[in-house]
Amino acid sequence: MAKGLDFESLVSCHYQSLYQFAFSLTRDEADACDLTQQTFCIWAAKGHQLRDESKVKTWLFTTLHREFLGARRKQVRFPHVELDQAAAELPVVPAISLNQLDVSQLLAALAHLDEIYRAPVALFYLQDHSYLEIAEILEVPIGTVKSRLARGLDRLHDLLTGKSATGTPSRPTDS
Amino acid sequence: MNRDDAKNILLLYRPDTVDVVDPQVTEALSLVKQDAELAAWLRELGARQEILRAKFRQIQAPAGLKEQIISEQAAREKIIVWRRVAALTAVAAAVVVLLTLAVFRFQSAGNDNTLALYQNRMVGAALRVYTMDLATDNPVQIREYLKQNHAPADYVLPAPLEKVATTGCAITSWQGAKVSMICFRTGKPLPPGEQSDLWLFVIDRDLVKNAPSAGPPQLAKVNQLITATWTQGDKLYLLGTEGDEQTIRKLL
Repeated sequence: MAKGLDFESLVSCHYQSLYQFAFSLTRDEADACDLTQQTFCIWAAKGHQLRDESKVKTWLFTTLHREFLGARRKQVRFPHVELDQAAAELPVVPAISLNQLDVSQLLAALAHLDEIYRAPVALFYLQDHSYLEIAEILEVPIGTVKSRLARGLDRLHDLLTGKSATGTPSRPTDS
Repeated sequence: MNRDDAKNILLLYRPDTVDVVDPQVTEALSLVKQDAELAAWLRELGARQEILRAKFRQIQAPAGLKEQIISEQAAREKIIVWRRVAALTAVAAAVVVLLTLAVFRFQSAGNDNTLALYQNRMVGAALRVYTMDLATDNPVQIREYLKQNHAPADYVLPAPLEKVATTGCAITSWQGAKVSMICFRTGKPLPPGEQSDLWLFVIDRDLVKNAPSAGPPQLAKVNQLITATWTQGDKLYLLGTEGDEQTIRKLL
């Protein structure tokens, strides 16, 4: 049981990385704060059910991601359009030197990725988790995580620099 | 593994993490050592990834978020504690109410056994249309019948009452115990269908709360009858008839 974990210590340890993940997903400070706070609120209510204390960080990220998806589902849905089909209609992210890039431009580019790629890419760069943990957080198989990451990273590089990360042709659609 | 395979694997490679122990990564990295072009690609990719990683890391939580989370949780816990206290208070109040009701009911049940209720019940029995178990003007037969049926039979009548003609008797009950009802006719004209105009009820004294102790009969108007109640020996007597105190005093 993770009952013995001190709430304040837990918040101190994880609130920053959780907020980074939340902000990567929402690009909105208030929403990211709400998501982070809600995650700890859920922990306070249900965290005692977690038996393995080593899984606390993964549990928190999983919870945050679920809350994010839950909130998204409540929003008005827009028609889903494949990035390939809509690329010409997207606001142009100018191909710039990565050194000149600021966070808002980076997250704007991330937001142009299909939703299924955003969370794995953010978790990849935040570098807090192994691929196995990312798979647990996103609740998909590790193979799916890797395929989504490969495609997502390639797209992100393409959007930011005008060229793909590998220089290889576009990857097939995620399984 | 060729160069493209290696690129696909190394695209997901994060130096200085557990990724380095992945056998596929290890194999791709060994290929990098032999392929200068691949090595250049990896350096460029690494530099780009590092920049992007740094950008993600630049995201900073707003000042005070941590304190806000902690303080709001503390406030929430206080509310939860208050809710629990309120819930417990409500439960305690409900228990008190139930206990009060139970005590009240218990006392009421006890109060069912009072003299006033007994008098009311017996007078009501006399005024209702009733059927005598035994119709006779023979007092001995009445006493015998009551005795055989385990109702109080060893009663003692006041001398004036001894002279009043009996019409019969019935056995009624009070709190599960038998009550002897002896019916008399004083001689006054009776309404059609009526056989009696004076009734005596006898019960063991211990069965009625607040029964008077030995002493002169207590007179009281109960319903439409004037009644006299007294104790003699271990029996409680209740005599009732229509009229006033003078009417009943003549029979005692």
